[in-house]
Amino acid sequence: MGFSELSLILGGPQGSGLETSMLVLSRALAYRGYGVVADREYYSNIVGRHSYIHMSISSKRTPRSLTYPVKLLVSMDAETVFTHFKDIESGGVLFYDKDVRAKKVTEIPSIEESLRSRIARDLKALGAGEDLESVLGVLRGRGVTTIGMSFQEILRDLMKTFGIDPRSLSRYVSGIITSSAALLLGLDREALKYGFERVFAARAKLVEQNVYVADSVWRELKSYEGLLRLDYPETEFSEVLVATGNDVVAIAKIVAGLRYQSYYPITPAADESFFLEKYEVSEVDGTIVGPIVVIQTEDEIAAINSAIGASLAGVRSSTATSGPGFDLMVEGISWAGMNEAPVVITYYQRGGPSTGLPTRGSQSDLLSSAFAAHGEFAKVVLSSGDHLDAFYDTVLAFNIAEKYQLPVIHLLDKFLANSTATIPLPDLGRVRIERGLKPVPPGTYKRFNLEALISPRAPLGTPGVIMWYTGDEHDEFGHISEEPENRVRMYSKRIEKLKLVDEEVPGDLKLRVYGDEGGDFCLIGWGSVKGVALDAVDEIAKRGFRGIYVDVKMLWPFPRRELLEVLRRSGFGNVVAVEHSYGVNIADLAAMAAGVQIRKRIAKFTGRPITLSELTQALEKTLTSDVDRVVISYGG
Amino acid sequence: MEGRGVSFKSDVWVDWCPGCGNYGILTAVFKAFAELKLDPSKTVIVSGIGCSGKLPHFVNVNGVHTLHGRAIPFATGIKLANPELTVVVHGGDGDLLGIGAGHFVALGRRNLDIVVILHNNGVYGLTKGQASPTLPLDAKTKALPKPNIQQAVNPIMLAVASGYTFVARSYAFEGEHLKNVIVDAVKHRGAAFVDILQPCVTFNDIFTSEYYRKRVYRLDKDPDWDPVVRKPEERISKMLKAIEKSAEWGERIPIGVFYVDSTVSTYEERLSSRLKVYPKVNPASSVIASEDLRPVVDDVKFKKIFSDLIVRVSKRV
Repeated sequence: MGFSELSLILGGPQGSGLETSMLVLSRALAYRGYGVVADREYYSNIVGRHSYIHMSISSKRTPRSLTYPVKLLVSMDAETVFTHFKDIESGGVLFYDKDVRAKKVTEIPSIEESLRSRIARDLKALGAGEDLESVLGVLRGRGVTTIGMSFQEILRDLMKTFGIDPRSLSRYVSGIITSSAALLLGLDREALKYGFERVFAARAKLVEQNVYVADSVWRELKSYEGLLRLDYPETEFSEVLVATGNDVVAIAKIVAGLRYQSYYPITPAADESFFLEKYEVSEVDGTIVGPIVVIQTEDEIAAINSAIGASLAGVRSSTATSGPGFDLMVEGISWAGMNEAPVVITYYQRGGPSTGLPTRGSQSDLLSSAFAAHGEFAKVVLSSGDHLDAFYDTVLAFNIAEKYQLPVIHLLDKFLANSTATIPLPDLGRVRIERGLKPVPPGTYKRFNLEALISPRAPLGTPGVIMWYTGDEHDEFGHISEEPENRVRMYSKRIEKLKLVDEEVPGDLKLRVYGDEGGDFCLIGWGSVKGVALDAVDEIAKRGFRGIYVDVKMLWPFPRRELLEVLRRSGFGNVVAVEHSYGVNIADLAAMAAGVQIRKRIAKFTGRPITLSELTQALEKTLTSDVDRVVISYGG
Repeated sequence: MEGRGVSFKSDVWVDWCPGCGNYGILTAVFKAFAELKLDPSKTVIVSGIGCSGKLPHFVNVNGVHTLHGRAIPFATGIKLANPELTVVVHGGDGDLLGIGAGHFVALGRRNLDIVVILHNNGVYGLTKGQASPTLPLDAKTKALPKPNIQQAVNPIMLAVASGYTFVARSYAFEGEHLKNVIVDAVKHRGAAFVDILQPCVTFNDIFTSEYYRKRVYRLDKDPDWDPVVRKPEERISKMLKAIEKSAEWGERIPIGVFYVDSTVSTYEERLSSRLKVYPKVNPASSVIASEDLRPVVDDVKFKKIFSDLIVRVSKRV
């Protein structure tokens, strides 16, 4: 009897190949039919600070959430054990490097002072010493199996066999922890080799060396093979995409027909543009897909404004950024609104304000994106709950932008951006490219024709047609006009287009209800809380509370009717909002747009993702007590 | 103005102050566009904010009147998306060298085939005459309560240092010369910059038409002045000469071409070495969907393009 669901942490210093371990392991698991989701947590640092991968594996489906405690902690260094030893469940397993057993928590400079003293205090309270050996003792006392191996021995042997320069030996530590994790989970060596081959691709020597490392690990740890064996997979996947949120959005942009992407480097958005650059043009079966001009601009101001320029030339254009960059783009968004220019801004939120927690996640920019930019004009804000939603929503973002000629903000976050998941291949049969292009009427072209809310849009360069654009209030030709009657008509047109979006976009794309209505509670949220919210709803059902999760996908225009209908059906009782922010601002947006008062709120703003265990607990607390606000904060 | 290049004149009333240097610039634009026989539907004037920002409305070609300082980014997006368009930026000195200075430098680095025309009048006119980035230190125009305590930037020097491959100066009321410089700038392949000395009759009582009329002289009258880089090895010495010449200001002010270098690759060429099909197949000319709204990328192509991310499941038997 194995495990159908299992969660683990791989930890080590930033820059030591941890991400490679994640890539290899997730591919090996996917190859054998397991579902994986893995979050990457790291400091704003290139080399040396503690980072870790928090992974959920399932033999039944793609896991939707992360949880604590974990069954397995695989550590590259002592810092990982000190930081996460409390996260291992009793009966779980720790894999560690024997060579660092004497290391004391007080000797590790990369641990932040406040954390170091907290760990030292915790150890003291447990009656343990400050060295790793003492922590191992504590763990064993809790029923954790501790498995040590000398990394040095493995690496020295590798060095001798392959004549590797000692200075580059540390890059093989990743192979040690990947192999030991695979061994403990009961993965076979062929699957592991597949993972190495997929990740190292053409670098055959690296594959050979890592396979050699795996063989050494297998020899050494033979007796532990399959200690945490996963159940035989019941998933029905025959092919899966193994991709991060950044990758998935980039893929969707290519499918959607993106032709211009501008960006200024910022975490956690830049990887999307890198991906697009890699796939900027392809030729398949005689068809050219692309080209996409991907340009690294001098700042985010140039990023948004050049994307708008490309849009005026008739191409699908977008930019990808995070909070600090978005703030710089806001004036451009106002120009796009004024000139009815379609453009998509992919916005990966991170912890603010200012530089905040630059490599950690948040959902604290909801109100700032819904209400960004001066003046009043139609603008749409979309969010996505998971990788697959993000794919379809990216296409939707371009369709809405072009059909209604307005800026669309696709509001995502670092959690989605940096987590890797196994997802089914998107169903392209469902995808439509709706550009809203109508033939230009004969006669003198009026770009801002007032006959309808949506004027016929001709790209710059259309033969025989000329047009003007201006950020000033303008007449139908796009020439400056301050005349009051024209002002009223033009100003209203640009605002009232939003009604069309509200009326025409199908309800299912604006708000989605999960679970059976008529239960005890309604959990409401948006974006990346979806997976953990769904799991928490399932989990709490086991404790006797039946409820639904309402995923608000279109944040602006707010799906007022749709939300009111759901709440009417569920009786308005026990509505709980959850968000990665202090304010849980979706509740305030709902109050403003739909007149709904949501008192109960679950907030997390540590920059770490909401995990299943803490959300279930918090939800139970809000349902069983008078407590309205629960702040959760688990995770290192 | 009437009768000269009238086909490019729009029917929008020109609302600059009587006597403004911008009239000279506008006339030269009409004449240059006519001489170049530009197709109005394939030509785009992109402007920023201020008096110069209104220029596109007066010209019968596509006009994009953008944000303060941001004309160059807009123009960049337009040009890259559709390389068949002729794109000309008009901006003031506050716009291009103050709030938009970063973009001005970036365009030089890219050497994208865009023309930038600077309406250089030393003041922020539409906000009533504040000092602009080209007003010299200690200058006190009539609108300023106190003398200027910020130093001026030298537009020609900055353009050469930034990598523009065509750098020239003209004077708003030297009609024929200005028209010719604009024609050459449009013909040049790569980032072209034209600094136009432009009297502001309302707010700048120092750099007046009388001031310039006495001082400007034409570089092309000097048979020894050769601003053209013919091979890469000449680049540094020609740059230094252009920079030295641009420092000449006071009793004599040179106008004409300071620097031309066609040995540097354009951004379009750099892109085409990467994208191969560009600029022939470009963002504006490429297809993204079929007649029935289906994306070009279907299930079969998807698997081929993104094979690196696809894992074919092989469960153990």
